[in-house]
Amino acid sequence: MLPARKFVIALVATLGAPALAIAVHAAPVVVSTPDQKALAPDVAVGPKGEIAVLWLAKGDPDSAAAKAAEAERAQMGHSHQSSMNLYVAVSTDGGATFGEPVHVNHGDDVWGFAVSRPRIAFGPTGTLHVAYPANEHQAKLDKAILMTHYTRSTDGGRTFEAPRRVSTVTDSDLSGVIHGGFASVAAFGTMGVAPNGDVYIAWIDTRNMKADSSTGSVYAAVSTDDGRTFAVDRMMVADGVCPCCQLSIAFDGKSRPYLGSRSVTGDNLRSSTVARADGHGGPFGPRIATGGAPWHLNGCPLKPTVLVVRGDTIYTAAHNGAEKPPGVMLAASHDGGASFDAPRAVQPDALVTDAPAIALTRDGAMIAWHAKVDGPRRVYYRALDARGAFAGPVNALTDGDATSQNPALASRADDRVQVAWQQDDRIYTTAIAAPR
Amino acid sequence: MKRRAFIPTAVAALIAARAAAAAAPASTPASPGADAALPLADAARLRAILDAYRGKVVVLNLWASWCVPCLREIPDLVRIEKELAPRGVVLVGVSMDEPGDAARVAAFRAQHFPQFRTWLRAESELDAIASVVDPAWNEVLPTTYVLGRDGKVARRVQGAKTHDEFVSLIESAL
Repeated sequence: MLPARKFVIALVATLGAPALAIAVHAAPVVVSTPDQKALAPDVAVGPKGEIAVLWLAKGDPDSAAAKAAEAERAQMGHSHQSSMNLYVAVSTDGGATFGEPVHVNHGDDVWGFAVSRPRIAFGPTGTLHVAYPANEHQAKLDKAILMTHYTRSTDGGRTFEAPRRVSTVTDSDLSGVIHGGFASVAAFGTMGVAPNGDVYIAWIDTRNMKADSSTGSVYAAVSTDDGRTFAVDRMMVADGVCPCCQLSIAFDGKSRPYLGSRSVTGDNLRSSTVARADGHGGPFGPRIATGGAPWHLNGCPLKPTVLVVRGDTIYTAAHNGAEKPPGVMLAASHDGGASFDAPRAVQPDALVTDAPAIALTRDGAMIAWHAKVDGPRRVYYRALDARGAFAGPVNALTDGDATSQNPALASRADDRVQVAWQQDDRIYTTAIAAPR
Repeated sequence: MKRRAFIPTAVAALIAARAAAAAAPASTPASPGADAALPLADAARLRAILDAYRGKVVVLNLWASWCVPCLREIPDLVRIEKELAPRGVVLVGVSMDEPGDAARVAAFRAQHFPQFRTWLRAESELDAIASVVDPAWNEVLPTTYVLGRDGKVARRVQGAKTHDEFVSLIESAL
C-alpha cells in the first residue's frame, strides 16, 4: 500500500502549556485507495499480531443497488442517505505494510456513518468477524428497513463469507416517526469477542418503539461457535436507549459483557451508562450512569459511549454536551461498574472534543479522540494508568491543514496501540505509545 | 417536555405548519422559493448569506430531515419569523442532510415547511459550514444560533425549543 506522504510528528502538550516535547511515531500507512471517499474506520489486532483495518467508502452512484436505494428514498420522502461499501485491509508484518483492500459486503448495501460505524474484531483462533448495518426491504410492508448483518473471514481477511442478517425482521412500521422513514431499524451497533470466543453483536432496535416514544431497545445475537451460527437475537435492554448513540461492548476475564450506551430518562436527560450481563444469555443489568453534568437534550446527540474492562476496573468515555466546554469526559469504575469516579475532561483547553476511542495497554489504557484547538479537527491521545487517571500529557497524532477525525484503537501485544483514523477522505493507521 | 409526547407534537406541528404556510405570503426575495431546488451552501456561501443580513437579527437553524426534534421546532421558527420580521428578524436554515440529497430535501421542505428559508450543506463534513458561526459545534441537532445585528452570535441553543423559548432568546438580541 501507499506509504504516507508525510511523517507524523506528535507534539506533546500539557494542559494550558505550550508544546514541551516531541514524540515520533512510525510512519502511518494509508490503507484506503485514492479513488475512495473513505470514512469511519475500525481496527482490530489478531492473536498472531495481524492487524485488520475496516472502513466505509461511498458506493458507486450508478450501481443498481444505489439506484434502487435512491428510488426508495424518493418514495419515502425523507431518509438518511447511505449506500456504502465496506473494505478491509490486513497487515501481517506488524503494520508496516497492508494488503490490497478486500470488499466485504455485497452491493452498496451498507448503511453507515461515523456515528454508526461497522465493527471488526478477531476471535482467539484468528477468525475475523465483521458486523454492520445494512439496507434491506421489508416485502410485506413494502418499505425500507435497516438490519444488522454479519460476515467473517477464516483465511486472514482474504475472503469473506456471504453476509448474514443477525437481527430479526418484524412487522413493526414506524416509518413516519423514526430515522429516515425506515419502518424499523437495527443499527448503531457494536460487536466484540469475549475471551472464551463468544461473538456478541448488539444494536439499537426500534421493534418495541411506539409511535409516542422516542427511545430504543438493545438486542443482541450471540455465537458460541466462532461465528458459524448465531442464536436468535434477544432483548438485552428493554427501553430507554438513546436511538442514535452508538453502543460499545467489552468483556471481563470471565467473558461477561459490559455495554456502553446512552440512556434517556425523565426530561430528555441523556446519560452515558455502563451495564453488565451474566455472560450466559441474560439481559444487561441496571445501567449505571458514569456521571458528569446532566445533559438534557430534546435532539439527536449522535454520541457513543465507549469502554474497556480489566478486572473490576472499567475505563469509559463519552461526549457530554452539558460540560463547559462540551467534550469527551473520561470516567473510571473500580467496582465492576457499580459506581464511577467523577468524570474528567480529556482536553479541557480544546474548543470541542468528540469521538472517543479507548483500548487497554499493559498496565492501563489509551484514549484517543478528535478535537478542534486552533485549526481543523485533529486526532489526539493520552495514556491512562491502572486507576484510570491521566498518566501523561495530551499528544497530537496529526497536524497540518488536513482534517483528521474518528480514531479507532486496538491493543497490541507489544504494549503499543494500533490507531486508525480518517484524514480528509483517506484512512490511515499506525502504532502509538503514549509518553508518560 | 416529556419525551413520550414529542412525536405526536411533531405531527401536530407539521400539520400546523402546512396550515400556516397556506396562508403565508410569498417568501422574501432572498429566500429560496418553496418550489425551487434546494440551494447548496458551503462555508463561504453561508458567510456571504449572513453578511447580506447584517443589520438584522438572524436566527440560524441547523436541522436535518431525519432529526425528529428538528422537525418539531421548525414550524415554530417559521411562525416566529413571520411575527418578528417587522422588527428585523430573519430565519436562515441549513440542512445537514447529505449534499447529494438536494432534490429529496427540497421536496421534503416543500411538503412540510414551504416557507422555511433553508440551504443544504455543500461539503461532506458537517463541521465545515457550522464553523462559520461556531468552531466548537459538536454536531448535535438541532442547534440554533441567534446572531445580533452586528453579525455576532448572541445565543446558541441545542435541542428542540418551544415557540416561547425561542421568542425569549430572540428578544434578548433585539
